[in-house]
Amino acid sequence: MTRSPLVLLGKIWLALILVFLYAPILVMAAMSFNASPFYQLPFQFSTDWYAKMAGNQQIITAAIRSVLIACGTTVIATCLGTAASVALFRYEFRGKRILQVLLFPPIAIPWLITGTAMLVFFFAIGIGRGTPAVVIGHVALALPYVIVTVSARLSSFDVTLEEAARSMGANAWTVLSRVTLPWIAPGIVAGALFAFAVSFDQFVVSYFLSEPGDSTLPVLIYTAIRKGFTPEINAISTIIVTVSMAVMFLAARFSKFGGSR
Amino acid sequence: MAELVTPAERRRLFTLLSPAYLWLLVAVFLPLSAMLFFSFLTDMPQDAPDWGVTLGNYAEFLTNPTYSTLLAKSLKLAVTVTFFCVLIGYPCALVLAKSIKGRSREALFLMVILPFWSNSLVRIFSWAIVLRGNGVLERAINFVLPFDVRLNLMFTTDAVVIGLVHSYLPYVILTLYLALQAVDDDLIDAARSMGASKLTILRRILLPLSLPGLLAGAVLVFVPVVGSFMEPRILGGRMGTYYGTVIEDQFVAVYNWPLGAALSFILLAVVIVILAAASPVLKRAQT
Amino acid sequence: MKSAFLLSLSALALSASGALADEIRVLNWQGYGTDLDWSLKAFEEATGHTVVHEYFNSEQEMLTKMRTNPGAYDVVLVNAIYNPQATEEGLLAPIDTSALENYAGIPADFAESDLVTEGGEVYGVPWTWGVTSFAVNTQVFDPVPDTLDVLWDPAHAGRVSIRDDAVEAMQIGALATGQGINDIQDLDAVKAKLEALMPQVRTFWGSENDWNQYMAAGEFDVATYWSGSAARSAAMGLPVEFVVPKEGAIGWLDSLTIPATSEHKEAAAQFIDWMIDPEFYVKWDAEGAPASANADAAAALDETAFNRRVLGDPEVAARVQFQTPVDDDTRQQYLEIWQALKAAQ
Repeated sequence: MTRSPLVLLGKIWLALILVFLYAPILVMAAMSFNASPFYQLPFQFSTDWYAKMAGNQQIITAAIRSVLIACGTTVIATCLGTAASVALFRYEFRGKRILQVLLFPPIAIPWLITGTAMLVFFFAIGIGRGTPAVVIGHVALALPYVIVTVSARLSSFDVTLEEAARSMGANAWTVLSRVTLPWIAPGIVAGALFAFAVSFDQFVVSYFLSEPGDSTLPVLIYTAIRKGFTPEINAISTIIVTVSMAVMFLAARFSKFGGSR
Repeated sequence: MAELVTPAERRRLFTLLSPAYLWLLVAVFLPLSAMLFFSFLTDMPQDAPDWGVTLGNYAEFLTNPTYSTLLAKSLKLAVTVTFFCVLIGYPCALVLAKSIKGRSREALFLMVILPFWSNSLVRIFSWAIVLRGNGVLERAINFVLPFDVRLNLMFTTDAVVIGLVHSYLPYVILTLYLALQAVDDDLIDAARSMGASKLTILRRILLPLSLPGLLAGAVLVFVPVVGSFMEPRILGGRMGTYYGTVIEDQFVAVYNWPLGAALSFILLAVVIVILAAASPVLKRAQT
Repeated sequence: MKSAFLLSLSALALSASGALADEIRVLNWQGYGTDLDWSLKAFEEATGHTVVHEYFNSEQEMLTKMRTNPGAYDVVLVNAIYNPQATEEGLLAPIDTSALENYAGIPADFAESDLVTEGGEVYGVPWTWGVTSFAVNTQVFDPVPDTLDVLWDPAHAGRVSIRDDAVEAMQIGALATGQGINDIQDLDAVKAKLEALMPQVRTFWGSENDWNQYMAAGEFDVATYWSGSAARSAAMGLPVEFVVPKEGAIGWLDSLTIPATSEHKEAAAQFIDWMIDPEFYVKWDAEGAPASANADAAAALDETAFNRRVLGDPEVAARVQFQTPVDDDTRQQYLEIWQALKAAQ
């Protein structure tokens, strides 16, 4: 499937879709350099919002807190979710369908309702509020995304590969680390990326479960909307996306997780 | 896949499954069970000593036509958004999985999700700046074209679909990629050497083999879109009232958790029934 | 810059609380007066207390947060129509107003209102008030209209906006049909009036953020708005003017309260006193603020300030109908009417 006009057409299509995916991000970045506090056009270049943002301790602390919580959530959710996906794929047992269906409620029920339910329940059983409670909530909401994604990859896994490895004397750990995990690596990476996105954008759980003064970035943004947020928000978002892009390209440069055949 | 026979296997199953599901139990299932309980109450117990058990909140859905109208509208929206996500995303995933080799594939893989490491509200307001009258899109088009173009996209259902397709497209592209990348290139080459056309290869090999990825992606789009309310509210203007809006109102505008919870569980039940009904059809398509 | 008052207050703080510096936790809308950097810095210098904020996005969520987080907050902003409910639920502590130096400036209309008192005790210190009506784009209107009918004027079809809020929409409808906002007799008339408004509407707005962006982008000619927010938008350079039409307008009062479970009640009272201080208010008003409930503060404003010139005008004040509490059933009924109207679009 190389060198045909169809492939060229496909690549052009992919490029167009990337433009579509990045359109609002580019606008977001452009508006961080636009003088108007109301996002008015025409564009007038200014770096004032970056200066203001640099002096806004609240927003910087909140952004750092959000990144840390998202990283923690990603690690926990990816590990737990991958383990569960492997179990759901490998074994047949009663109740398996129910466990799979149970992944839907956290995705289907609007987060406001799930978040309110968590708030009430966490207080009833004494978990209370604070960063641990926020992470507990974020991981729970990210888990279904990880499990669905990793399972999608696993479904095309050829179990005979594992059997072959085992018949050649490999122990369970070797089979897992040399055969199974490399195969599902793209699924794990995609699941982790989704988990980060879910946590980093998660507003309701942090809103209800953070300690006063411990806002995350989404909480700051969502509660700022009533009085109007300023392009400072665009400035910090632009910095975050730029830094993540740099980190990701480094990751892409030094590791191979796209899957091989 | 193995049936559970030995105690050792059972132990392994338990070790792998229990951390994730115990976590979900404490953080989601038990809290939602409390909500499910509330949905059968007349009043919240701590506020009204005379609270009782009722099916009235569910009956409300049947008697007030607003709710069923909006649920139908939301389902239609979710089908539209899922359809466009798959239509747009499939070629992308195919190219990414089969035509792009080497390091650039990993980089593109990451680039698909990167826009979503930003705040959704900021993204939606950025869409508003693009789509609104005399916004970025109209200015760009009018810059290129000699005549005046007025799109009037802002505050329409189209704007809502654009915003939602944008928000959920990465889920479809990446899950499809996971499935398509797993298809053996030798299989495709073999089919081609036997004279199969591109269309046949797509229809008989790629589509069936990528179905698990397609399904996973479609679920991750369809399910949350049915309950969405933020994108519709901001981009849809006057047309932007959906089922998610009325659920949210029960918590935000009035203090009626029982009704809000009942409406949420109806949503959940409808989504599960639709997915259950769709799965045999899709299973047949796979063979 | 420090007044004698500040010094006396800090002396009071030192003696009263044994020089203990507390952390006061405030629950409020974001960007609504209590979290201004310069004010918090001055407050900390004067009293030693630091202030941290938590924000809410709706009044229902504010109540939810208070109910589920005992001890978490020391000062909470409560719209006065929710005050009786919060008091009845036992969420609020009575406030010893004798400790508040600036309390005397609050007129009896506000201070002794049923909304903020209960059984002779004060459960809320009236802080700010304002008017919900509409504002127009002054580049479109000359002269500025004086009637609510302009929202229904076909000349502005598709260039009108109204807030996505059931109670507010119903009360605007009540004004337009000549009814009292707190006791709507003819619901059908209001419903019909709002139904006629729907085709005029470009979009519903939900926050000042939407309002300012859409007004700045030229999407609206006329839109319902809050007086304090209009003052702020104008201060930021938007060509808008707030109108209190001849049909009247909706008045609201925000109060500062101390939760029953607060562990820093003295410090909280000091902070509330700081918030109703005329000196603070005059500076806040320069950035765009709602009207102060403290008459001394209002009188300290420049004569040209909107909050003195317009809202201080007795003739305008006479047209304002203040909101009274809306019970749950009525609220639910309004919501259903409003949802049905929106769902029909």
